[in-house]
Amino acid sequence: MMNCTEWQHRIDAYVDAELPPSDLHAFRAHVETCPACASMTLSVTESKAAIRRAGHRYTASPELRAQVFAAMKRERSEQHQPLPARRERPMSRQAWWHPTSTAWPRWGIAIAALLLVVVGLFLVTRRQQSTALAELVDLHVADLASANPVEVVSTDRHTVKPWFQGKVPFTFDLPEVQGSPFSLLGGRVTYFHQEPGAQLLFRYQRHLISVFIFRQTPELSLPASFSDQSSSFRVRTWIQGGGLRYVVVGDAAPAIIQQLSDLLHVAQ
Amino acid sequence: MKENSDSGSEFERLATPLFDSLYNFARWLSGDEAEADDLVQEAFTKALRGFASFTPGTDFRAWIFRILRNTFLTSRTGLRAKLTDSLDEDEGEIIAVTWETPESLAVAAATRDALQAALERLPAPYREVILLCDVEEMKYKEIAEVLLIPIGTVMSRVARGRKLLRQSLAGERPGWSASAGKMDE
Repeated sequence: MMNCTEWQHRIDAYVDAELPPSDLHAFRAHVETCPACASMTLSVTESKAAIRRAGHRYTASPELRAQVFAAMKRERSEQHQPLPARRERPMSRQAWWHPTSTAWPRWGIAIAALLLVVVGLFLVTRRQQSTALAELVDLHVADLASANPVEVVSTDRHTVKPWFQGKVPFTFDLPEVQGSPFSLLGGRVTYFHQEPGAQLLFRYQRHLISVFIFRQTPELSLPASFSDQSSSFRVRTWIQGGGLRYVVVGDAAPAIIQQLSDLLHVAQ
Repeated sequence: MKENSDSGSEFERLATPLFDSLYNFARWLSGDEAEADDLVQEAFTKALRGFASFTPGTDFRAWIFRILRNTFLTSRTGLRAKLTDSLDEDEGEIIAVTWETPESLAVAAATRDALQAALERLPAPYREVILLCDVEEMKYKEIAEVLLIPIGTVMSRVARGRKLLRQSLAGERPGWSASAGKMDE
């Protein structure tokens, strides 16, 4: 048996999704029974998210962007011609604006710049999406680590649904999970950017899965339908029922997350 | 489509989504806007001209980050940083990470500004590993490819870098000297 100190050496690897599969189950089993290791794991998870947000700090100027991409295109068109003699400072800031420094026509530059703005917007949106997603995964993890993961403890959807009345600014339907491999553990009110929402906790074997339901707001910048399997958590999200955003987060297999998502779709 | 433009457009397809990340990383490495601009331009030029040496199907992101970082290391600031840089670690060995509660909460509780300042104070070898691991969300294997160091060293630097950040933000005596922490300034 490993002691806590040995498990604590594995927390970084666990949070980075680098723990070998042979250790993963044992690690989770230990964390489920050890509050000290669970809280450390949570703090490293939260730290990693905080560092990610703080680390996205600098954005290139539109000039640099245009310059690099124009140079890339120019290089491409010159590939079969001899390369130009290396300048003292290749593609210096002034060179881009200097009409004689390039054979690239002005309108070409304008189109390239416009494309870059579009690509830039796309990337900004992507980043917002991954930030919103990361925050929801954090909510899920923080909830599992809390002493009271659910405020209304009930396996009965007819108890859980009315409990939310007056607590969240919308209503939603819960699926019948009897006969499915899932069990409902309960729910709680949660907040995303000051917007109240419902969090439902389901169990599948030893996995806990959160289902978040929020009114769709601009802060909740996610694609209309989306599935992320890159981190150790699986996330599925979609909009249904007149602008309600559903997000399913859990560490179960993608097919399981999909199955629960389908059940929620049917409930509508 | 002419054959000669194919590799160029393939390069663009792979490199365009990484532009923002590369710029952010360059700025963290160099600590200076004008220098980061030069680094990114030079790295893109080098990568495009050397694209033939990239093996299709292997990790393009690790490849181009490595080019950017090597470009930085041979720049003036990079050479200076290398000279003043000393690591107080046993390479490849997982260092003992001790935990104290207030310390473990320090990073998540810190403001964005405080966290950025603490990242700046982190010695470069730890900072770059933390940036690649937490900000770029690279796998340890990928980080090892960028930095050309063993995976064991990546792991020990991740653990130690996080430990130093926690200590720094918890206001404890940091585990590095003030002069080493300021080497990029």
